Amino acid sequence: MDKERTLAVIPAYNEQQSIMKVIRDIRQYLPECDVLVVNDCSRDRTSEMARNTDGDVLVVDLCCNLGIGGAVQTGFKYAHANDYDYVIQIDGDGQHPPGEARKLYDAIRKTGSDMVIGSRFLDVSSFRTTRSRRLGIKVFYYLFRLLIRTPVTDGTSGFRIYNRKAIDLLSRLYPEDYPEPDAIILLNKYGLSICEVGVEMKEREHGHSSITPIKSPYYMAKVIISIFFSYIRAR
Amino acid sequence: MQYFQILGVLFSLMLIISVFFIVKARRMREKYSLVWFLIGFFTLAISAFHGLIDKLSSIFGVDYAPSAFFAVLLVCAYLLLLHMSVSLSGLRMQNKSLTQELGITKLRLEELEKKLDKERLSSNS
Repeated sequence: MDKERTLAVIPAYNEQQSIMKVIRDIRQYLPECDVLVVNDCSRDRTSEMARNTDGDVLVVDLCCNLGIGGAVQTGFKYAHANDYDYVIQIDGDGQHPPGEARKLYDAIRKTGSDMVIGSRFLDVSSFRTTRSRRLGIKVFYYLFRLLIRTPVTDGTSGFRIYNRKAIDLLSRLYPEDYPEPDAIILLNKYGLSICEVGVEMKEREHGHSSITPIKSPYYMAKVIISIFFSYIRAR
Repeated sequence: MQYFQILGVLFSLMLIISVFFIVKARRMREKYSLVWFLIGFFTLAISAFHGLIDKLSSIFGVDYAPSAFFAVLLVCAYLLLLHMSVSLSGLRMQNKSLTQELGITKLRLEELEKKLDKERLSSNS
């Protein structure tokens, strides 16, 4: 049997200060992974820094800023076209320590789930994020329990691993704007299984969250409406 | 003909002529021009024939004739806006796919170039 191939997808927008460390950490902790940086039309030297990291790094430079959804989907498309068995999604800002990705990897092989989410809430010692985000995550938690009857403690986490089935689906359909909670419903709708595993997350070292206090009501409204449509939409 | 009627007729003619030239210069698709021509000819007819709007409003049971006129125009505007949102979403989706494909294709090209360079080096040495 051929060796399983895994692609680490790093969506990055203006992450020149952290991207090299993320790539090096992946090399250290997941040496068998290929690394794909999706540079979402950064205005800084993200692409250059990624290319300058030792070893082979694949860099896709998008010519227009697509947002996180479009960037991550580019990774799925690449993985699908190049026949990868797994995709590990790791943020370019250093929030997701690649050392923890091993847990995701073990979980997807052990449970046979189609997607495994790294949750910061199944693990007590992890960084706890802001109060408003916790509130949002709680709303999603109840929404998920109501709609798909699955407890998801960290629906907004973008630290995830996907298998072939999930890659195939998401390379065709992946939500835009704020895709993480929406993707959970989408996978469930298509009969794919999801599980969570507790991981440590770090506070971002550089840059800011894309969701500012002013934007968060919009964020919630947008995500809830797209979750709703993903839920009612025929397959 | 009253003053405001003349204004109305002039405005409608201007609209129709503008749309005509915009389409002729290929700056608007014929498909979209249809709604604009309809709006243009509708306002033209309403302005030119004074009794028309009264007849129209009495059919719909509207007491104040101009409000029937505004209602029709508003419905047209809503339909146009709705249509624009749909077109825009379609364009955004196509644009996204193109951007992604272009990015991936560029990467493939780079990989191929690298491979080619390596082969060239090894055949030279």
